[in-house]
Amino acid sequence: MVDEKRAQSPIDRVWDFLISLKLAITVLILLASASIFGTVIEQGRPDKAAQIYEDWLINIFNKTSMFDMYHSWWFLGLMFLFTLNLTCCTLDRLPRVLKVVRNPKTIFDEAFEKSLSLAGRWRKKGSMAEWTGKCTAALTASFAAPRITNDGDAVHLYAEKGVISRFGVYITHLSIIFIFLGAIIGNMIGYKGFLGLPIGDSVQFVPVRNGSELKDVGFRVRCNNFWVEYYRDQFGNPTGQPKEYASDLSIVENGQVILKKKIVVNDPLRYKGVWFYQSSYGEDKPAARMLLRRADNSAPPETFHLLFQRGEAYGVPGMGIVRLLDFQDNFEGKGPAIQVQIEKEGRQPVPMWLPSADPELDRRRGDAYVLSLQGVEQVTWTGLQVAHDPGVNIVWVGCTLMVIGIMIAFFMSHQRVWIRLSPAAEGKIDVAVGGAATRNRLAFEKNFEKIQGELKELQS
Amino acid sequence: MEPTVANIGYNIYFFDFTMILLGIASVAYLVGLYGDKPSISRVGTWICVLAALSSFVALGLRWVESYQMGIGRIPVTNLYESLVFFAWSVILFHLFVERKYESLVFGAFVIPIAFVTMLFAHFYGGGGAITPLNPALQSYWLHAHVITCFVGYAAFAVSAGIAVMYLLKARSEAAKQTTGVICMFPAAKALDELVYRAIIWGFPFLTAGIITGAAWANYAWGTYWSWDPKETWSLIVWLVYAAFLHARITRGWHGRRAAILSIVGFLSTIMCYLGVNLFLAGLHSYGGG
Repeated sequence: MVDEKRAQSPIDRVWDFLISLKLAITVLILLASASIFGTVIEQGRPDKAAQIYEDWLINIFNKTSMFDMYHSWWFLGLMFLFTLNLTCCTLDRLPRVLKVVRNPKTIFDEAFEKSLSLAGRWRKKGSMAEWTGKCTAALTASFAAPRITNDGDAVHLYAEKGVISRFGVYITHLSIIFIFLGAIIGNMIGYKGFLGLPIGDSVQFVPVRNGSELKDVGFRVRCNNFWVEYYRDQFGNPTGQPKEYASDLSIVENGQVILKKKIVVNDPLRYKGVWFYQSSYGEDKPAARMLLRRADNSAPPETFHLLFQRGEAYGVPGMGIVRLLDFQDNFEGKGPAIQVQIEKEGRQPVPMWLPSADPELDRRRGDAYVLSLQGVEQVTWTGLQVAHDPGVNIVWVGCTLMVIGIMIAFFMSHQRVWIRLSPAAEGKIDVAVGGAATRNRLAFEKNFEKIQGELKELQS
Repeated sequence: MEPTVANIGYNIYFFDFTMILLGIASVAYLVGLYGDKPSISRVGTWICVLAALSSFVALGLRWVESYQMGIGRIPVTNLYESLVFFAWSVILFHLFVERKYESLVFGAFVIPIAFVTMLFAHFYGGGGAITPLNPALQSYWLHAHVITCFVGYAAFAVSAGIAVMYLLKARSEAAKQTTGVICMFPAAKALDELVYRAIIWGFPFLTAGIITGAAWANYAWGTYWSWDPKETWSLIVWLVYAAFLHARITRGWHGRRAAILSIVGFLSTIMCYLGVNLFLAGLHSYGGG
């Protein structure tokens, strides 16, 4: 790859490496091979791997981030190298292509004529001006309007089509950079979470990062109702396989219902850039019914549920995050109780038991809010995926560009036709025609023969 | 769910008929090739046309029958259906290539792929039952996603078949053989070009297939890419063919190495299409169970 004759500085050598096709192919194959590991070793499940592989292998997996491989430093490094490679290739080649496109070869000299496989010559009676006009008209009609250049005695016509095909590759490369950019933006400022929302409840805080963090979405989402419909067998009895499930959701902002929509799988709700997707559901699941009051009774009380599942938490603006830790059927002989901790910025969370028998217990905390357990009941909840991804539109732009770029690169061809007219003896004109195409030469050859035939048949 | 008459339907008789036709067409192409009888190969072509029609009728009937069963969806949603659809795509793509390049020898290498696919569907496709769709699959994206992916897969299958022909032909040309079956193949250079041509048809379709899959996933789950094994394998296939296309630009990667890369590409396509469901866990439904 490296040009030996040129004196090379280390920077040149690095550059030549970065723009080399060898690097491109190597990185593509490396990315493909590396990706295989992550499909064989189940991601995020070291517990499963521990049952299959030996300890020393697990050790290696841990050291090389094999359980979160696609976000590991080495995989991201490969992606970076990939991006660097295609950026450098573009920077290296695009200016040259632009130069060729801006300054096409308009002079059809004999040496160039010999280098073309598609060429023809003949002689016609008439004047230069007459034949220049005729050829220009014919070429415009059957191919494209030519550019006319006078060179000494001779006149050169140059016509081209599909010049954009030279850019297909660069559009495709650019599209990949768009997709990566969109993905990076989405990862940096976007979030994704899962919400199990019981019928009748509303929330403003959505658990993200597997529930380790609660995100304030800036408005409340309420589940008004939830339905599930099952497939029926040939006798009309439900089979237990869901055909469709749907939630009726409301968006509530400043106490006002802003938006109401019934969502089903594949038909999400969007508000202020946050999408709510119907994802799963739970029927008749145990949950703690909680009552939230103001200590000074300045606002009406609210209720919400804490589902009995690991990491369950509920956020209250101004109060903090209530996280469920434990549950007992009969706590110290006083009936059901749950253990929660209230997480507020700048305060150490302290676990406390809330028995349903003692609703005033939480007043001891001295907060503006008083939390109590009303009881334990069965609820039906709708499972919502929540996503905010400001980069996704950039990704779609990238995807569209990619399809367009690939189509241009593969199915379009830069086709060029040259004609040279030069005066010959006895008031005759020598006509020379040549053609070239970057791709799909077979089809161009037929087209060229047709154009040439038409030109030959022209009479003065 | 155990397949019963009610959820199988009459369409599978047409699919079985297609399978038998493809078996006969494979034999006709092979006999035509080895016996140097183009007229027999020509019969193979007509049987292929019939098989394509029979498949088409079967798919249409299956679509109608799914509505009669109260399920109602495009017949490309489980292992059986995806296999028969793939076989149909291969037949169509093959007929297109055969007509365009006017050579009857491809059939002997490509149609057996379709035949084996139909056999596999018949014996391992869960009896061809029409299974209800889970809600995540009920989307218009399904149509665009499946069709683009399968046209891509079919193009790669054709390319790999021709790549095998290329390897045989190149060896025979190197040994200056003048007799035997392989001499009837188109010239190695033409085959090499076809390996490439089929891929430049397949690549945009695979790209569109991956993108429609991502768009759909984003619409269903709010994530366009989650490194699910199926997604990852489709990316692997894409990367292999991207490598092929880049390698093709340099002169060194014509011929033998390009043919091998095309075969590697098709093997990863098979892994993406079937292997992932058979060996790995993931989102896609046609796991055969």
